[in-house]
Amino acid sequence: MTPSALLLLCLGAPLLQALAAAIAPRPPGLRDSLQILMSILFFTAACLVFNAARGGGVARIVLARPLPHVDLAFALEPLGVLMALVISGLGLAHSFHSAAYFRAVGEPAPARVQAFMALTSFAAVALSFSANLFTFFVSYQALILASFPLVAHGGDEEARRAAGVYLATLLAASIGLLLPAIVWTYALTERLEFHAGGLFDAEVSPLTLNILLVLFVLGVAAIALPPVHRWLPSSSVAPYPAAAMIQGVAVTNVGGVGVLKITTYVFGARLSEAWIGAQGLIVLAGAAMCVAALIALSKQDLRERLSYSMMAQSAAVAMGALIALPTGTFAAALQIVAQACAATTLAMAAATIHAATGRTRAADLEGIGRLMPWTFASFALAAASLIGMPPFSGAWAKLWLITAAADAGYLWAGGLAALAAVLTFAHWGPLAAIGLVGRAPADAFKRPDGASILLVAPAILAAIATASLLFLADPIANFLSTIWRGAR
Amino acid sequence: MTIASILELLRNNAALIAVLAPFIGAPLCALMPAGRWASLLAMLAALIAAIAAGDLALRALSAGAAPIAAMNALGLRLDGVGAFAGALIAGLATLVSIAMPAFIGRRASAPYEAGLFLIALSAWLGLAYAGDLVTLFIAAQISTLALAALGALGASADRAAASGAYRQLIAGAIAGALMLIGAALVARASGGTAFDALAEARVAAPGAASIGYGLMIAAFALLAGVAPLHAWMGGYFSRAASFATLAFAAIGAAAQLAALGRICAYAFASPELGEGVSRALLALGLVSVAFGSIQAIGARDVRRLAAYAGAAQAGCVLIAFAMGSPAGFSAGLVQIFALSAAALALTMAAPVPGAITALDGFARRAPFASIAMTIGALSLMGAPLTIGFLGRWRLIEAGVGGGWWWAAGAVIVASLSAVFYCGRLIERLYFRRASVAQTNPHDPWRIFTIPALLCAAAAVLLGVDPAILLAAADASGRFLTGAAP
Repeated sequence: MTPSALLLLCLGAPLLQALAAAIAPRPPGLRDSLQILMSILFFTAACLVFNAARGGGVARIVLARPLPHVDLAFALEPLGVLMALVISGLGLAHSFHSAAYFRAVGEPAPARVQAFMALTSFAAVALSFSANLFTFFVSYQALILASFPLVAHGGDEEARRAAGVYLATLLAASIGLLLPAIVWTYALTERLEFHAGGLFDAEVSPLTLNILLVLFVLGVAAIALPPVHRWLPSSSVAPYPAAAMIQGVAVTNVGGVGVLKITTYVFGARLSEAWIGAQGLIVLAGAAMCVAALIALSKQDLRERLSYSMMAQSAAVAMGALIALPTGTFAAALQIVAQACAATTLAMAAATIHAATGRTRAADLEGIGRLMPWTFASFALAAASLIGMPPFSGAWAKLWLITAAADAGYLWAGGLAALAAVLTFAHWGPLAAIGLVGRAPADAFKRPDGASILLVAPAILAAIATASLLFLADPIANFLSTIWRGAR
Repeated sequence: MTIASILELLRNNAALIAVLAPFIGAPLCALMPAGRWASLLAMLAALIAAIAAGDLALRALSAGAAPIAAMNALGLRLDGVGAFAGALIAGLATLVSIAMPAFIGRRASAPYEAGLFLIALSAWLGLAYAGDLVTLFIAAQISTLALAALGALGASADRAAASGAYRQLIAGAIAGALMLIGAALVARASGGTAFDALAEARVAAPGAASIGYGLMIAAFALLAGVAPLHAWMGGYFSRAASFATLAFAAIGAAAQLAALGRICAYAFASPELGEGVSRALLALGLVSVAFGSIQAIGARDVRRLAAYAGAAQAGCVLIAFAMGSPAGFSAGLVQIFALSAAALALTMAAPVPGAITALDGFARRAPFASIAMTIGALSLMGAPLTIGFLGRWRLIEAGVGGGWWWAAGAVIVASLSAVFYCGRLIERLYFRRASVAQTNPHDPWRIFTIPALLCAAAAVLLGVDPAILLAAADASGRFLTGAAP
């Protein structure tokens, strides 16, 4: 298959998955089998795309031309390929887990959640492969619209209110900030195509670059920088698998990729000239990391705690992307991969605990690790990675981030990142410890046989992926190096 | 006489055919014994008008000279805005007429309603092709009277309809007075009422001409439902017969906005008047965006919501026209197209009665109608790959290109507020269950969903590949006052 055909397959597989959920909602066996098969197809396509890209394959597919000189187009590029691998890989484990979870809790409308989760995956991959700012915007809007029903799924007043906040925050930021930035860029450069050296020529003033940088970064509210962060805590009302999709697999990570694409392919070398805006945003990101990690400490609901924790992690991605150095870009990319694996593991482990014991609060987890050792070991490993404890991948991402900050002269930013890691330890560390060493509660399981293998195994697999990133940092750096080589 | 020469004769008189086909069809409809036959006849007349207007637009916007000369000989005038709007009005009327039987049903007044719709259509096309201010005034008055009568005929089913129609009648009377005084002042200052004279006239009294154009703009803004002159519209939309509100929302507002655009284009031809007209349009546009958006957010009735959202979108159209450039007019025409498509999809597919709570769980009861409404709402929001996005993009692009950043800001405000009111609408469609047992007056398989779905499909297809629409809008923008493109 040609790289273009593989790219199309990679984009089409999650769409087929959504279609399968929509047209075959029952019997459950058929529905879940189709979901898993489509996930395997998606992951296989992503692996083939990765292989093609590693071999120097080039692909660009144009679906339409909705504006003069602007295509709806997708292209093979390293960041997109990496994200496709992460989303499809974690999505494969997640498809097994969500199928088992829905059966365990007796979810009344699993097909609807599965369809929208697949659509969210599609939009996330489309955004990752977007060849220009217009396609980026279209995919981003699709991501918001596809993930919003996941938050509203509960149908009660709380879910409706949360979905309203989710939709309003993300859409308002994208229309109010991102769209003007894109149109302004088009007016200045008469092009929107992503380019390794950036889009702006010498005529664009530094003041304009600064304003545009702020509009772009805050416009991509999926990265959850304040004041456009409220959607992330709101997403906690979604069912566990949906929350895992939003907080772990797709939305937050795509926010990070979005900002990285903008800093590398839109600003490129001229990012250093937007230093006032960049510094302001780095201060914001640093503060957000610490405050979010602190707020997470006060949250008892596991999904809420994870959402604030992910806010802190996403801010780290923003910080890395805004440091105008290749090390910053690499730190941000590695952080995305590490946080995706760790957050998905945590979310799946929390979902498994909920399905097996009905427990959702941090205070109720004491001794659960003794009853569910594999699940809780995965939980603890993912928490260690999010904290940034060596030798897990999160540690290397944080280390690169602090190094990049120091190289750029932002030692204070490195300090904030270190402080945020300590606060992250404060909200995950003791929880993991009491879960593993506390006294095992009696009659914790809702059913005598506990959690099924399909609930436990995906969390273990995701934890293995989190741990194996330790060995993958160097290959990832080599794979992504074309970005900064191209920029030069 | 060969068939080819007859065809050529017909094509050269396409504007006349477009106006006359519904005009002749109207009394024939009234004579029909049953509503369904009258609807069929109305559909046929609208289709003939659509073919004629479409052909005229195609020829005028690609070649120009032949149809323009033929129209001038008839005392009509073809300019860019008129050519584009004529085809749009007739096309939308055909779609609306397909849905007519579902709305007027087997009421005793159905043949009269079909006839009144055709009279209104004829008048709307008259607005697009009028050659002078007097014809424009007459067409505006006929359209208002026909639509008010159409709204009032629903009184047999609901007495509140008469009240809604009465509001429109008053608005029409006020607009008529403003228009007449304005036309007189413009004629006095420019030396005539014919558009070809206005396009080339040296304005003797710029002050009087400015006031005259201002009054005419206000009159058409009132008729199109531009805020804050839209006080009549809320009541009309929630009380008048649903077919009348559909006709106004989908076609009438577009026709009045196009007429307003034509007036502005001729005013911009005189350098002395351009700045004043531009300021007036801007002020009106910004106020309309703000008022319309705020009211749409608070609306508790789907048709009222459509009316107020229409006012906000109409504000965007005025802002585009205010730029006075071909790019601005082109953006305004695309925006009119987007507004009409969204309004048609929303008002045609909405349940009757249209309280917003009636939308709870509507997607389960009427999935196809809900799809049409959703796409209409997304287009109003300016979601990518819909025609609404294209309209917004063109408008922001024209604004940024002309250095009008705040105009781009106003468009973004309109989009942001649309996120709230359209988001709420979509949320009710798909994420709520009906709290009370709902009757199902709109069966999803009824024929009325087809035009709504067609319109929704057009909103998406033209959003994905808008080359034809953009070419037409750009060509229209280039020959604003009738000079060949």
